[in-house]
Amino acid sequence: MNNQTNSTSSQMTPPLYPAKTKAQVTLIFFIVIGFYLFSMVWTQRQMVGGFTDALGNMGVVINKFFPPNLSVIPAVWDPMAQTIQMAIIATTVAAILTVPLALLSAQNIATFKPIYITTRTFLNILRTIPDLVLAVVFVGLFGIGLFPGIIALIIFSLGILAKLISETIESVDMNPLEAMRASGGNVFQVIYYGLVPQVLPQFASFVLYVFEINIRASVVLGLVGAGGIGLVLDQQLGFYNYPNVMAIIILIFIVVLIIEYISNKLREALI
Amino acid sequence: MIEFKDVSLVYPNGTEGLKNINVTINDGEFVVIVGLSGAGKSTFIRSVNRLVTPTSGSLLIDNEDILKYRGSDLRKLRTKIGMIFQSYNLVNRSNVLKNVIAGRLGHTGTLRSILNLYKKEDIGLAYESLQRVNIDDKIHSRADELSGGQQQRVSIARVLTQKPNYILADEPVASLDPPTSHQVMTYLKKINKEDNITTIVNLHFIDMAMEYADRIIGMRAGEVVFDGPVSEVSEKTFEEIYGRTIREDDLRGGAQES
Amino acid sequence: MATYSLPPKPKRSLFKKTKRIMIFLAIAAVYVWTFLGIDVDWGRAAERAINNFHRVIPKLFHPDWEATGEVAGKMFETITIAFAGSFMAAILAIPLGFLAAQNMSRSRLLTASGKWILSAIRAFPDIILAILFVVAVGPNAFAGVLAIAIGSTGMLGKLYSEVVESIDMRVVEAMEANGANKVQMLFYGVMPQIIPEFLSYAIYRFEIDIRASSILGIVGAGGIGTMIIFAANNRNWNEMGLILLAIIIVVTVIDSISARIRRKIV
Repeated sequence: MNNQTNSTSSQMTPPLYPAKTKAQVTLIFFIVIGFYLFSMVWTQRQMVGGFTDALGNMGVVINKFFPPNLSVIPAVWDPMAQTIQMAIIATTVAAILTVPLALLSAQNIATFKPIYITTRTFLNILRTIPDLVLAVVFVGLFGIGLFPGIIALIIFSLGILAKLISETIESVDMNPLEAMRASGGNVFQVIYYGLVPQVLPQFASFVLYVFEINIRASVVLGLVGAGGIGLVLDQQLGFYNYPNVMAIIILIFIVVLIIEYISNKLREALI
Repeated sequence: MIEFKDVSLVYPNGTEGLKNINVTINDGEFVVIVGLSGAGKSTFIRSVNRLVTPTSGSLLIDNEDILKYRGSDLRKLRTKIGMIFQSYNLVNRSNVLKNVIAGRLGHTGTLRSILNLYKKEDIGLAYESLQRVNIDDKIHSRADELSGGQQQRVSIARVLTQKPNYILADEPVASLDPPTSHQVMTYLKKINKEDNITTIVNLHFIDMAMEYADRIIGMRAGEVVFDGPVSEVSEKTFEEIYGRTIREDDLRGGAQES
Repeated sequence: MATYSLPPKPKRSLFKKTKRIMIFLAIAAVYVWTFLGIDVDWGRAAERAINNFHRVIPKLFHPDWEATGEVAGKMFETITIAFAGSFMAAILAIPLGFLAAQNMSRSRLLTASGKWILSAIRAFPDIILAILFVVAVGPNAFAGVLAIAIGSTGMLGKLYSEVVESIDMRVVEAMEANGANKVQMLFYGVMPQIIPEFLSYAIYRFEIDIRASSILGIVGAGGIGTMIIFAANNRNWNEMGLILLAIIIVVTVIDSISARIRRKIV
């Protein structure tokens, strides 16, 4: 009797989740875990001594970096400044170039579909290429120096900025623009009077955001010969001078934090 | 003078917006177009300044067929015609003066307008227009700081700054409360009389149409089903236009408050 | 012509005025500093560009198909680096995310320290982390995994903590009223609210990590970056063309798959 009620009750109680979902989730879970374990093995296959050895080794090696040789900081001040200048120029140029691109890739402004699709695709492709890869190519083209770094940053940030801004443009209130058109304004006037006031604060905020990204990117561009502090970092790494390397890394760390703090405050004030 | 001759409009998705419209609107008239939503009132009004383009027939303004206009002809036409919208269509982040001066865009060169180099007279005109609708004290306020009625008055001032021969108003009071609605309509009527500007207004409130119009045009399903002076209009006329009995919400009310 | 006089503009407060002027001067100073300080030999860059153009650009558009096998192998390694790194970060970020969330603990000190740790990690560019790990575990793909894992933890932890801060605490309160203990509240009240967002962010971070891990090889941390630096050093621009193509394709495909999955989850 007791048994029977038990079995009926277990038949009556619906499972918490449907069986199919449960099976799917379990399957996906095992695939993810499986691929993770595979990746761990695959990436460690060239490692001498294996995982545990490496972890033990890490403690010893990290010691090499300490104490950092802070006395090099005055000597690397100049390349650090150049790095920041590189980011400033690149952000400024990208902010200017992004205006036509963002307009052409906003669906509500570029009503001619082929143009919209072409610019969108172009920007999407641009965004897939990492900043350092662009820098490698431009160093090949222009030779070692700041210039290829600036160009790489411009191209890299253009992809991000134009996308963010075209999305902002797509979300504006189109009614004022219609009113301007109805009163006889031409395309430029409609954009300048109807659209610009609506997107300007967002635009400034995104430019600052991209500036932060460019600062982070610019400190490492030197690793491939594109100038700035990264170039010094690369040299010191080449000499295995780890205390100097650590000092440079700390300097980068502090500069990035300070600039990010200022830029964040400015962005808060804008919106 | 605006003349619709056999004007029809079919939207790309196949909907017929206007069917064989034949209407003549004389200079200085205050015409109210009534009809249910979707009857084609908006399409009618937007054909006049070519925000939509009729697909057949001819539309003459001052004896010129405007359906052939393109580019600069079209912009020139639009400077002669002011338009007022249901949702005011102001740039929220710009101040009142800048919104009003936008009415001069069609008269101002691109470079001049982008550099904010308006002529002194234009700025004076903008200020005078604001005075006419009694909102000159808000000249430096941002548009989104104003109430709905104030914003609609600013948009009337924008149209005045344009110095138009015609004013189109597409449901100008639909987003306002009864007292403010009457205020806005009173301003429109006053301007119509003082400046002899031909005015076409879309409304769906029967009592307001009766109070302010010289002439009423009734539309249903893209066709003109009534056209005559207010004196010929009775409740029965509206029932014919709407195709049903008149209800409470067809009336705005609040006339005595204005 | 009548003369018009506009009402005077409302006076801005002195504080606001000076603030505006100060900001303007600061920006102007930054630009003056930049343009006086920047040391670019424009003439030489232009000259080089003209000389090198035909040696570089046309070759990029004629990929060296013979390297396909090697590029595919390295690209696969890049994906495994990104995957293992993102996975580790997705898990490491959970405790840090909770630590940094204001509504999870009453101690302000704990929250602040959590937020501080996370922003400190974020200030390190991935590639700098890779340099450190290459020194520690040798120049191989696993150094890349560790760099990605740590680098992503900074951003994921911050996003996680924002998710946790935005949950509906009334559900948790109701459970507390039911007599549930802390662990039960976590599993039945908090987890169901946050899991979809956590997953979505982790997948989003995987997209970013694919891009990030494709450059780590430049400092020796494995993946396609290794080939990039070789191709650049050997001026083998045909091979570079193929590498670029591979990156564009892989990133585009993974972005679109992951965007689709994320739309399903949330």
